[in-house]
Amino acid sequence: MTEPLRNLSDLDRVIHEPARLLLVALLSSLESADFLFLLKESGLTKGNLSVHLSRLEEAGYLRVEKSFRGKIPHTEFRLTPKGKSAFDQYRKSLRPIVNPKKGRA
Amino acid sequence: MERQVESAAKRGRGYWFIDGFTEMAAGGLLVLLGGVILLRGVVPQAPLLTQFAATGVDVAIVKAVGFLAAILAIWWLKDRFTFPRTGYVREKWVPLAQIIAFIRNVFLIIVLPLLGLVAAFFILPGGRGALFSIPVWLPVFLGMLWGVLCYWLGEWTGLRRFRLLGMLILLAGVAVGGGQLLAGLPTFPPQALTSNPWNALPEVLRVPLEEDVKRTFVGLGLLTLISGAAFVLSGLATFLRYRKENPSPYREEP
Repeated sequence: MTEPLRNLSDLDRVIHEPARLLLVALLSSLESADFLFLLKESGLTKGNLSVHLSRLEEAGYLRVEKSFRGKIPHTEFRLTPKGKSAFDQYRKSLRPIVNPKKGRA
Repeated sequence: MERQVESAAKRGRGYWFIDGFTEMAAGGLLVLLGGVILLRGVVPQAPLLTQFAATGVDVAIVKAVGFLAAILAIWWLKDRFTFPRTGYVREKWVPLAQIIAFIRNVFLIIVLPLLGLVAAFFILPGGRGALFSIPVWLPVFLGMLWGVLCYWLGEWTGLRRFRLLGMLILLAGVAVGGGQLLAGLPTFPPQALTSNPWNALPEVLRVPLEEDVKRTFVGLGLLTLISGAAFVLSGLATFLRYRKENPSPYREEP
């Protein structure tokens, strides 16, 4: 087995799932976002989104912050340092697989 | 897959511009600034220094008050219109090191060359010709600079309309500078290129210099006005599309 293909089995499976990858990628460029933003941008159902967010939270990649905006309860999600580093590592690992020439350079 | 990941990250970065409010506010501010500069260029002013000082004060007031008003208006509108429809995000703070690097680059790329030109005006008689053609090159230079910044914003956020706006502003800068060139520049007497710059300006130089400054103000005002109008129109189109796609605030399904 070639080196890039061996890397494939080392990919972080929590992030590798497409819906979670999308959520982490969205959050990677933001400080935090609320449930509605993630719902609209991901196109997932509410139930599905909740499950994926919980999975990311369990892995320690996501922090949930509950607060109030006026009188309305408000929940925000942000990537933890562990989540950010896992995402960076995931992208690094993916590069040589997707584009072997660039990955070796 | 890397492209899809990058595209999702760009969606997050571009969310601030999803409703068009920022473009409309920035465009409105630019239209106001352009109007002030244009007015100062068109309305005759007595001494040159008074014109510079008055324009400086006007621009500073419009910038300070307008910027504050724009920020407050954008937040108010987003809080009542955008966040209930498509959600709330907190943008990432730009690190201090990045801000310092940006200021340093602006200084190196813009301020230093401009200071160099002014120095050339005082020291090298040959450099004055270039400075006197400022009504031509300043709009071209600023159009290129704003255009590149706008295009870069389009790349960073993945929003194609900013790339188009960048190209439009660049073309507007070239058109305004070209228009000034076609209209003909004021004629400076030969002594303007050779006289000792440390002495008081000779009277023969005052008239063409005032005309030069007036034309620079007009060119700069026009470019700012065109850029502002383009931003307002782009923001309005974005807002209308956003409102069509999200007619009412999000509600829980029963």
